[in-house]
Amino acid sequence: MRDLRRRVLGPLLLAALLPMASAAVAADYAQAAGSSLVFAGSYQGQVFTGRFPDFSTRLTFDPAQLATSKLDVTIPLASATTANADYDTQMRGDAFLDAGRFAQAHYVATKFRALGGNRYAADGTLTLHGVSKPVTLTFTWTPGAQPVLTGKATVKRLEFGVGGGDWADTSLIPDAIAVSAKVVLKPL
Amino acid sequence: MSLHNSDDRWGAVSQGFHWLIVILIVVMAYLGLTMVELPNTPHKIAVYTLHKSIGISILALVVLRLGWRLYAGRPRELTGIPTWQSRIASATHIALYVLLFAMPLSGWVVNSSTGFPLHWFNLVNLPPIASKSDALHAVVRPLHEWLFWTLIVLACMHAAAAIYHHLFQRDATLARMLPRNWLRAPSTDRETSNA
Repeated sequence: MRDLRRRVLGPLLLAALLPMASAAVAADYAQAAGSSLVFAGSYQGQVFTGRFPDFSTRLTFDPAQLATSKLDVTIPLASATTANADYDTQMRGDAFLDAGRFAQAHYVATKFRALGGNRYAADGTLTLHGVSKPVTLTFTWTPGAQPVLTGKATVKRLEFGVGGGDWADTSLIPDAIAVSAKVVLKPL
Repeated sequence: MSLHNSDDRWGAVSQGFHWLIVILIVVMAYLGLTMVELPNTPHKIAVYTLHKSIGISILALVVLRLGWRLYAGRPRELTGIPTWQSRIASATHIALYVLLFAMPLSGWVVNSSTGFPLHWFNLVNLPPIASKSDALHAVVRPLHEWLFWTLIVLACMHAAAAIYHHLFQRDATLARMLPRNWLRAPSTDRETSNA
């Protein structure tokens, strides 16, 4: 009887505990409808805004398991748009994003910090225009059946060689481009 | 030289407006006709910005000029000019004023239709006066150019008439739009010495 207990209950108990063990690893999510990735800058003192309509996100995240969390965002650039055809041609062209050579930007973050409340920061690396540099994304995490990540980052375009040479003139286009993300997530 | 217009002569203010706007139109014509071919660089933006800035300045000058013209009046019409010529001259003057308003305003609409900033001498951003629209742009962009060629044709007619009056009629039409003694115009000199 005692043998039986050891032989059967032991594995049973283990089997019962396994799901809890896997719950201790952060949950996986993919991007759901309603997500947006937008940017804003200014040109001759006039604000312009744009969006990356084809971006896609994979996220592994649990506020209690920041160490195993990971954010991975792929941003196709050829479809980046400001809703101004002249700007778009210029922005996607070789003086700026050069989407013909560098079709997409890639952001990967594996270091997460809790900022208090439901706010977090991801210290990741952005690869854009053939250059990889650290970029910090600060975000709010709204839990739920479909959690929502709402975040902001600042990308210094000149660090990435976006609009170099004559276009480096920051009185024309400032260095800092603001990026905002709202990512609706569905569990995988 | 008097600031005010007298019976015989245009005063310094009217002359200043007249010749300053002539110079600016020549500069604008050069910028406008050459800038469209420039490669897409910040230099092109700088040239466009200058063109737009001068254009807005001309609009302001023309408002002031018309105000001054209405306030200060004009010298007497010269005697001995056939009525039909006088009518053509008046119509040309009115058309030139209309074009001096229409050129910068249509340019402002062209700029508005593209959604580009209007950064006046890199100092201040002026608002658009029309909504961003490709359809509107397709209309006003050629309109702006046609108004320009109309202005050039009328301005050349106007200048040719003034030179004709000076050389062949030997009257003060041209001389009284210039500082005294720049051109000899016997009739004006006589009137002035009689006064």
